[in-house]
This record gives sequence, C-alpha cells and structure tokens, in this order.
Amino acid sequence: MKRNRLISILNNRGIIEAISLSLTIILWELVSNFIVRNPGKLPSPYSILLAFCDIWEIIPLDIGISLLHFGIGIGAGAAMGIIVGMLMGWFRIVDRIMDPMVEILRPIPPLAWVPFAILWGGLTHYAAGFIVFIGAFFPILINTYTGFREVDKTYIDAARVLGCREEWKLIKFIALPFSLPSIATGIRIGMGVGWMCVVAAELFGVSKSGLGYRLFQVFWPLHMIDKLILYMIILGLVALLLDRLFRYFVEEKLFKWKRGIVIAK
Amino acid sequence: MKKYVSVLLTLILISGIITVCGASEIKTLRIGYQPSTHQIAEMTAMEKGWWTRDLAKFGVENITDTEFSSGPPEMTAMMAGELDVAYVGTAPPITAIDKGLDAKIVASVNTNGSALVLSPGLAANYTSPADLKGLKIATFPPGSIQDTILKKWLKDNGLDPGRDVHIIGAGPGEAITEIMTGVVDGVFLPAPSPTIIEMADAGKTVVYSGEMFPNHACCCLLVSGRLIREHPELVKQIIRTHINATRYNNEHKEEAAEIYARKVRGTDVEKVKESIKRWDGAWVYDPHIEINSTLVYAKVDYEMGYTNKLLTEEDLFDTSLYDEVMGIAPAPGTVSPTPQPTSQPTPGFTSLLVIAALLVYIVLRRFKI
Amino acid sequence: MNYKLEVRNVTKAYISEEGEIKALEDINLDVKPGEFLCIIGPSGCGKTTLLRMIAGLEYPTSGEIILDGKEVKGPSPDRGMVFQEFSLFPWRTVLKNVEFGLQMRNIKSKERHAIAERYIELVGLRGFEKHYPYELSGGMKQRVAIARALATEPSILLMDEPFGSVDAQTRNILQEELLQIWKRTKKTIIFVTHSVDEAVYLADRVVVMSARPGRIVECIDIDIERPRKRTSVEANVIREQLLRKLITEHKKVGLI
Repeated sequence: MKRNRLISILNNRGIIEAISLSLTIILWELVSNFIVRNPGKLPSPYSILLAFCDIWEIIPLDIGISLLHFGIGIGAGAAMGIIVGMLMGWFRIVDRIMDPMVEILRPIPPLAWVPFAILWGGLTHYAAGFIVFIGAFFPILINTYTGFREVDKTYIDAARVLGCREEWKLIKFIALPFSLPSIATGIRIGMGVGWMCVVAAELFGVSKSGLGYRLFQVFWPLHMIDKLILYMIILGLVALLLDRLFRYFVEEKLFKWKRGIVIAK
Repeated sequence: MKKYVSVLLTLILISGIITVCGASEIKTLRIGYQPSTHQIAEMTAMEKGWWTRDLAKFGVENITDTEFSSGPPEMTAMMAGELDVAYVGTAPPITAIDKGLDAKIVASVNTNGSALVLSPGLAANYTSPADLKGLKIATFPPGSIQDTILKKWLKDNGLDPGRDVHIIGAGPGEAITEIMTGVVDGVFLPAPSPTIIEMADAGKTVVYSGEMFPNHACCCLLVSGRLIREHPELVKQIIRTHINATRYNNEHKEEAAEIYARKVRGTDVEKVKESIKRWDGAWVYDPHIEINSTLVYAKVDYEMGYTNKLLTEEDLFDTSLYDEVMGIAPAPGTVSPTPQPTSQPTPGFTSLLVIAALLVYIVLRRFKI
Repeated sequence: MNYKLEVRNVTKAYISEEGEIKALEDINLDVKPGEFLCIIGPSGCGKTTLLRMIAGLEYPTSGEIILDGKEVKGPSPDRGMVFQEFSLFPWRTVLKNVEFGLQMRNIKSKERHAIAERYIELVGLRGFEKHYPYELSGGMKQRVAIARALATEPSILLMDEPFGSVDAQTRNILQEELLQIWKRTKKTIIFVTHSVDEAVYLADRVVVMSARPGRIVECIDIDIERPRKRTSVEANVIREQLLRKLITEHKKVGLI
C-alpha cells in the first residue's frame, strides 16, 4: 500500500523534477565543499547565491542590453530569413542563384564573424545585433524555404481553379499560411541559436553592459568565478523563458491545424 | 588476470599517493610573459640561455616560457597551475591573490612605460582629460595595470570611467587593429604599441602613464608560493638572473630591441628601437620601490569592488629573498618568509582517484575476479 | 443544340527521355448542359489529365476545349473542381474554405458569409462553419470541397474521383447527396472514377477510355430512371457491359 502511495505521489507533475534538481544542487554543494575545495575553480551554490545578492542590481540592466542585441538580431534575422526563404522556396531560379552563397556562408560559426562585425559596425549595439543575426538567419531561412517547398500541389491547383491566379496571391493566400508552422519552428530554432550568439556578440566589448560583456570583460579577467557561473545560469534561464513564451504565444495558435495533417498523412 | 589487475591498481594507488604528496623536485620551470618591451629581461635571459645555465644546478632540466596578451589571462593560467613564474604587472596579481592565487611578488621589472594614444584628429584637439568624454578607448582588461591607472586617472580628473568613457578590454594586437581601423578613438597600452601606432601615423601620444601617476609600478616578477616555500634558493637564483638580465639590457639598449624583435614575431626592430627611445619607463629590479604604488592599485581595486578585501603588503610581496640576494639586512618588522597559506588548494581529484582505485580493488577482491 | 462543353480533337503529348509520349489522342467529346457525365478507364489512361485540361490546369498539345462558346485558356472559377483528397486548405475553417473563391473575386465579407453559409447548408454541414478540416471526417471534408467548388457558381463542375478515399458506406451516402445537389443546382457535372458501380448509379452517360494513349473507346447512355436502384436488372446489364469493356482495355496494357 505504501509503495503504491509513493508511486502515485511521484507521478505528480513536477515532483520528480523538483527532487532531481534539489539533489543536483546538494551534490554540487558537497562536491565543491569537500572534494574540490577551490572556489576559484568550482564555487559552491551557496557562494553563487551570495554573488547574486551582491550584484543583483546590475542584472536587469545586463539582461536588458543583451535582450536589445537579441532583439535586433532576431528582428533582422526573421525579416530577411523569411523573405529570402520565401523567394528561394517559391522561385526555382532564385534558389539556384542564392544557393552557393547560402551554402558557403551558412557553416561559418557566428563567433568567426565577430572581427568583421566590429570592423564594419564599430563598437555599437548593431555590431552585436549582427552576430545574433548571423546565428538566427540561417535556421529561419532554411525552415521557411522548406515550408514553401513542401506546399502540396493540390492546394495550388485548388487555389488556381478558385480564381487565385497571380504568383503573389498564391504566395500570400496559400504558400505563406501553409508554411507558417515551419517558419515558426525556424524562428524558435533561430531564437535558440541567436541567444547563444549574444555572448559571442558581446565578447569584444561592443557595449558597456550585457550578460556576455560582463561575463567576459569583467568577471573573467577579475577571476570572479562565482559571478561568472551565476551569469551562465542566468543566460540559460533567460533562454528557457524566451523559448517557453514563444511556444505559449505562437505555437499554440499555429500548430493546431498542422497536427491534424501529420496524423492524417 | 587477477595478478595484472592487482599490479595495475597498486600502481595507480602509488602514483596517486605520489601526486598527492607532491613531487619535491622541480624538473620543469614554466615562465609566463607578455609581448611588451617592459619585460625584455625575461627574453634576454631566455635567448642567452641564462635561465637554463643558472638553474641547472637546482635540478631544473627544462625551462618553458609562454606568451600572454595581457596580465589577467596570464593570472588565470597561473591560478590553474600552469605557471610557476610570471612576468606581469603588479595589478593583476592583486585580484588573483584575492581570489586564492598562492604567489608573491619577489622583484620588480619596470616602472611607467605606458601611454594614451589618440587618433590623429582627436590628438590634435586634445587639451585636457575632459576631451575624452564620449570617446572609445581600448586598453588591457580589468585588473590590469593599464585599466587600473586609466580608471584612477579619469576619476581623479572628474570623469566617470563607466559612463563618460567607453573603455573596452583587449590585447595589444586587437587594440592596435582597432585604432588603426577607427573602431576605437584611442588606446592606452604599454610600449612598444604606442610607438608602433605613431610610426604608422594612426595616432599620437597625448599622455604618458608616468604623467598620470609618477613613478608608478608596472611589471614585476611573481613567483608561486610553493616555489618560495619549498625552493627558496632556486627563487633567489631566479632573482639574480633577472637582475643580471636587467642590467645587461640597460647597458645594451639596441641589442635589447633586437632580442625583442626576434622574440615577438612580426615586430619591426626599428620601431622597437624607437619605442625604447620614446618611452618614459625604466627597467628595474628592486621590489621595494613598487610597494607604495601597488598598494594604491589595491585600494583602487577594492573601491571599485574588484576585490573582496583590501590587500596589504604582506598579502602581495615577499621581499626577503631579494634582500638576501642583495645582502640587505631586513628592516625590523618586515615580513617573515612566505608562510603556508591557510587554505591549501586540495588536489581533490587525485584523492578521488585514489579512493576510487581502492574501492575497485576491494570490490574486485570481494568478487574474486 | 448548344453544348455546354466541346472537346475537339484534343491530343496531349509529353516529351520525355524515351521520346514523345502520347497521353491522350484525338479526344472528341460534347457535353450537354445539365448532363451528368462519367469518365472511366484503366489507370494511366489520361482521364485525370483530360479533366485537368478542361479545368485549365494543363494545356492540350493540339485541339481545343470550348466552354459556353469560349475557348478555355487557364483555370477559372467558372470551371469548379473537386479533387480526390488534400484539397481543403487546412489552415482555414470550413467557412473560410468555402469563401475562398468569393474572396478571390473581392466580394465583400458580409456577402461572402451569406453565400458560403448557403452552400454549407446545401451540403448538410450547418453548424460546422468554425471547424477546421482536421476535425472533420473524410466524407465531411469532401462535402466542404463540393460546397467550395459550387460557391463560385461555376458553369461546369469537374470531379476527379472525389469519393475515392472514403469508405464504401460513406461513399454511397455521398453519391446520393451529390445527386440531390445536382437536382437542386442543375449543374453540368463531369465525374471521373474508377468504379463502374459508381458510374452506373450516377451518370446520364458514361465515356470509356482506352489505355495509353487515351482514346474514347465507347460512350454508353444510361436511360434508367432516377432514383435508381443499385441492384436493378437494367443497372446490372450496363454494369456487365462496362466491366467487359474495361477488362478488355486492362488486358491491352497488360494490367491483367
């Protein structure tokens, strides 16, 4: 009886997750205090909590600036990624023209673009946004492209028969709505990659604040490892929050009908 | 099979114990340095083989030196246990020792020697520090001498380093590229970078560091606490070799420039010679002369929140070995030889390895494999 | 007599790696207004291609297609079409699907609504306006497709095996409903199918096509009075006739 009771408690949402998280933190505290014993290498969770209390005032500013860079990059990445992906996905000739450039530029890691961004963009928020853009652009492009390529011919036929004749109308009324879930997926992936690029973007000190800036330009040279790890955690949490918010507001609406198709096919 | 496993485990145990206890021999000495004319003493001793020659009698078979773009990354490496000796400014050790680095400054290397360079247009219109408002200046990362002196000087002149001037941390190479391409308006760097920029017509020096903070300490000789405690004679010889190299460079400035140009690839020897002519620095070796200004750095760092406590002479310097080398009787009340740090950095993972090996051995025994 | 649709000497050929492939050869067909015409034939005989050419989605290599006295040049809503499956726009509700053709004609929203509602009711789906296609069964989806095609009040309705992917019972029900709709709207319908039973139940006239290159082999009038019984003697006679014809054609292509 007791065993069944225990299992049903554990099956409750969040219980096992909470236990796992707590155990990890406890284990970490033990390891850092008794095994590693070097706060310069592995600070304990407690010292990270203290670090938070020490610098909490500056965290909102840093998050804000990083989100600014992120916003610039995602905005540009989505706008350009969707437009180029749309054109490449719909018009074969555009695909053939753009493909070589895309295939060569795509694998270049965003970090490698940083010097280029600084030389051309200077130490501005736009240079940082550019790096985020590089990270976000390609997933959005590819997913938009795929979405457009996957449009069933039957939809196009049906639309044409119903009087939708011009190319731009077909794109607007058929291809675009059909591709919206793919585009949303692309944006979601782009957001993930883009946020990771925020640190690279701020690495070289293009701005005077920001999570990446403070991590590499302040905490690291000053050997403030506890604050460094705190910022790592914050970076992860913000990314998680952004992703969940996107899922909640966007995907809920868009994916309803796509689920239907997948099951049917 | 059982025999092999037992032997293997015993070996692991033994090597674990040995590592834990620490080798008493120093077979390899690892030196860190930066590409700056401040530290040619290290390069001279290296090129002429004086390190090898002088330290051989202590059992040192191999001497390596590693280049770092500036002090803070050099200290990171030392904190990770990668360096035994570092040629570094007296400021980076402050933040490092505050966060647990076990090391002491045993000798000085140079004073002054850095300069604020602005792009030609801005330099022509420069009259006072207030003209720096709104500019972008590249210098070494926070914790370095350059960063500390620049920020202190700006504050002394009524400017807020955080808001009024955009200071970015970089290495010398990046900073030079950035001023040459107009990404930044100015740089504050140690020699020979200012001269290199001037001779490329990419900028003009407006303030020397010696004007910002007269006779300020710059580079020093930093040695790990373990070396000082376990091999004081070795450290005294390091100091002696350093003194000889410094004296040699003072008497052979042209040759010093050539040694630098050979050591730091891609440098034009003419520019280095010119830099040595133009700089306001001096090559030195007495650690005592650096104590006061270093304590000022410690205060500035503490006020900026870079350190948790205000570090003292005791925390940073050990001048006893230098005094012994020079035959100076220690002044009454000076520090005694570097004491054992109260918290030994534990070789945590090695002990784990030993415990694991023991456990495996016991388990295997138990199940008769 | 004025024919609704005239197909004159239509040939369709493709150029492929093996050379020229004739999909359809010399098709001649006249359809009377209000007629329910079925086209049957073996797979690959080109009946879908013919239908698509009438719709304007493909062009004949030679010959003409004339609707209401005007030559067909490209797709247009006066030739409505119902496809076999996956033609409903899944991101639009039932109402918005049916409205689509009207939207393309820039008809104002209120009016669109009203017209669309009418046709939704015609196909018996009142109350499902706000549903999405994924929430509907196969039979319901095809009903929506029919409503959508009819909403633009086409001159002729083309149906390409519209009941091919629903189960047998639903199929029978849909056939009856289609006949009801046909009675009420008096549309000319061209219905392509594989099923002889379906053709016999629905059509005024059945056109049998040969295997590739597709040619019209035979036209059979079905004079049986409506409402028809699926299992009546006359129906069986015609069914027998058609089946034999089809088997011959299948044998020619080696499909049997």
